[in-house]
Amino acid sequence: MQSTYKMNFTEELKKCVKCGTCRAHCPLFVEIKGEPGSPRGRLALIKQLHEGKIQPSKELAEIVYTCLLCKTCAVECPSGVISDEIILASRNYLNEVMDQPFIKGAILKGFLTRPGMLYACMTLAGLYQKVGLHSLLTKTKLYNLLPEKLNAATKIMPDVSKKPARSRIPTVTPAKGEKKFKVAYFIGCATNHIYPDVPVSGVEVLSQNGCEVVAVEGVKCCGMPHMAYGETDTAKELAKHNMEILLKDNYDAVICDCASCSSTFKEMYPHIFAEGTKEQEMAKTLAAKTFDISKFLVAKTGIKAGKKEQKIKVTYHDPCHLKRAQKVFKEPREVLKSIPGVEFVEMKNADRCCGSAGSFTVMHHDLSMKVLDKKIKGAQATKADFLATSCPTCTMQLSYGLKQAGSNAKVVHPVQLLAETYKD
Amino acid sequence: MDKVKLVNDMVKMFGAEKVLQSELERYTYTYDSSFASQQNEYYPDVVVRLESTSDVSKLMKYAWDNNVPVTPRGAGSGQTGGSVAMTGGIVLDLSGWKDIVEIDDANMQVVVRPGIVHAELNAALSPYGLFFPPDPGSSAMATVGGMVSNNASGLRAVKYGATFQYVLGVEVVLPNGDVMKTGGLKSKALKSVSGIDLTRIYCGAEGTLGVITEIRLKLLPKPQSRGIMLALFEKLEDSALTVLDVFKAGIIPSGIEILDDGGIRCANMFKPDLNIPEVEAAIFFEINGTKPAVEEEGAQVKAIAEKRAKSVEWATDADRMAKLWQGRAVIGAASARFKEGKTRIFAGEDVCFPISKVPEALKRIKAISKEFDIPVVIYGHIGDGNMHTAPIMDPLIPDEVTRTHKVAEAIHRLALEIGGSTTGEHGVGFARAAYMEEEHGKALDVMWAIKKAIDPKNIMNPGKIWKLGRE
Repeated sequence: MQSTYKMNFTEELKKCVKCGTCRAHCPLFVEIKGEPGSPRGRLALIKQLHEGKIQPSKELAEIVYTCLLCKTCAVECPSGVISDEIILASRNYLNEVMDQPFIKGAILKGFLTRPGMLYACMTLAGLYQKVGLHSLLTKTKLYNLLPEKLNAATKIMPDVSKKPARSRIPTVTPAKGEKKFKVAYFIGCATNHIYPDVPVSGVEVLSQNGCEVVAVEGVKCCGMPHMAYGETDTAKELAKHNMEILLKDNYDAVICDCASCSSTFKEMYPHIFAEGTKEQEMAKTLAAKTFDISKFLVAKTGIKAGKKEQKIKVTYHDPCHLKRAQKVFKEPREVLKSIPGVEFVEMKNADRCCGSAGSFTVMHHDLSMKVLDKKIKGAQATKADFLATSCPTCTMQLSYGLKQAGSNAKVVHPVQLLAETYKD
Repeated sequence: MDKVKLVNDMVKMFGAEKVLQSELERYTYTYDSSFASQQNEYYPDVVVRLESTSDVSKLMKYAWDNNVPVTPRGAGSGQTGGSVAMTGGIVLDLSGWKDIVEIDDANMQVVVRPGIVHAELNAALSPYGLFFPPDPGSSAMATVGGMVSNNASGLRAVKYGATFQYVLGVEVVLPNGDVMKTGGLKSKALKSVSGIDLTRIYCGAEGTLGVITEIRLKLLPKPQSRGIMLALFEKLEDSALTVLDVFKAGIIPSGIEILDDGGIRCANMFKPDLNIPEVEAAIFFEINGTKPAVEEEGAQVKAIAEKRAKSVEWATDADRMAKLWQGRAVIGAASARFKEGKTRIFAGEDVCFPISKVPEALKRIKAISKEFDIPVVIYGHIGDGNMHTAPIMDPLIPDEVTRTHKVAEAIHRLALEIGGSTTGEHGVGFARAAYMEEEHGKALDVMWAIKKAIDPKNIMNPGKIWKLGRE
């Protein structure tokens, strides 16, 4: 069994001693309960596939795709099994040997590789919301008549009618005060179209803290959705394209406000190119230059908050791609604690996956909602006014969960709250 | 019995959502942690996940009437193949049945269903100031039903003993589907000598005498204070001699655990912030009780350990204690990190020696490792002589597999030779069934007579404890 995503299946699968520790940590297994729903079960089946004892099948694909890729099992595995990467590589393999649904190809290879098409699509979605169709479907519960997955997508879809971030941010924003760094700001698909206030705030915060910020133009999707769905070849093309642009000028750093984008640059790009190739060298360079925005603020610029007080109570949810993939968890909290007036309160199981996992919340909606339910209970127990997080898909999921639970708490990125302090 | 009919009947009786029948689903029930189960793929014909006594009773009546073997299963974290279906039939997955029926804090006991996980139970008991003392390294995933069935113990057995000492009664669905309760139908007594102790028979019966569907456990008050001492030794034997010295001084720590040099290395690899210096052996002493008692005993143990140890660290900081204890607890699986390209397997992994013979046993295990050229990581409960041994090998190299089997065989034989046991807490399953005759002699026949009296059709977990073909 071979995959474009670099993986020595024989060696990595050998490490699993089947102790079952992963059963204790997987947020999905708690809900699924049966052994096929455990990380150990998935790996056992992938080993069977690798050894040719079973053949690719829809049933196997369903089991392999019923994973949040949250990395919890990998981090907690005493034997050092990189379960999430094995899952990614096996999805890549299955994608290559099995027929794929048309809609999946259309989304991954169509919209998500072409920023223009994505823009048109999001504009249409925004229009659908503006003219009241979304509201009508929601109030009348007519969305229940939609196919299951479309229904799920409709339910959790946030307001996408705002102007994209890219049209609101100048290409170059000068540093306010002494210029310490010249940085590239990577505006990901989700924050650009769904949460445009995040990059707007991010650029403002960096500028206030001594950075000349270049909102790099021409970049495309980071490729995370493609890798999650086994479309590694498309992800490679996107990676090559993005690396050319992001490494063209000698920026001091490449800043992301989305945990998934930064994790893709830092962790995944180096895994999809062969050893010793020019592309892999570029991937390593990009990985070293990439920073989550909170990490950059804490480690490089230092945080200089503004004077405007925020008399609010805030808690924080750790995105899987930030805490477990990049070991960044103290920094977002430091950003929040630096804000004058903020009362920071830790929520229970702050680093437990929210169940979003990109499109998992649509493809496995009921399961995802069970995972979300636990998260929301933890957040509500803090009685915080704001639930901060650093990932747009987590934001979407948490916002939906809070709304369903009747909570008025808002989900924001830490830099959005920090940016408020600079306003008069 | 016709397999298609069996599956269809299960679906009719319990609903499709409780029945796993595809080849892929069934494959995930062919293993536990044991190497033996991973080398022999024993597929069940069907897996049924049940969460009520009445359903389990229905299932057993069906199995009885149709002569279908039934293998109860918890988390599948066992190390002997105890929960795999050697002769097909039904695997009964009880791991989803996690209810705590009652916490009776006034009487210091709890009633639980078999699927509750050990760590979850103790977390639920904590607000009541109570705890269930046995502490297996697999606490995070091991079910209490599995612990009772294997009579598990773990890191605190030196002071608190094994699971059986806390089981006050069990509800059991017998092989014919009848339901019985041991320990008294309405009893809330903390001890009882009323009648033959059937509860004890089910502790360690490994699912061969029926299905445990409810467990009444005795609890203890949580100690007020705790401290952990880490003593490092340049000679492996010195560590064992120090343990004997501690006992001679009249001190019983709540846990005495050992990691050899390989274990130390693997613990550091998994949790780098443990940062244990690399010596031949590290001993963890856990002392609990009232605060003054912990300080007093801690000081005494420290003085004893310092006679032979290179260094001694006394931790009372909760964070450091948790890290040290967890570092030891997960070493079973973490020893797979010992060498790149190799892994560990669970075979010959649970021998128990007389504590006076532990220094000799440690030396001889190292010699066995050398003889067969298979590295063996040693860790475990040195305080009660229960040593875990992790052979490090490549399961894809047949010659290494052969030599590792020889290592496991030699370690089991060593235990029997010097008056120990082939298993201190993991059980027999089918991985150790071959040693039972030698270990027990006539007593094994009596065990079989009990088994035949309760399960005359031998439908409960056949092939475990007694080799297949015994009937």
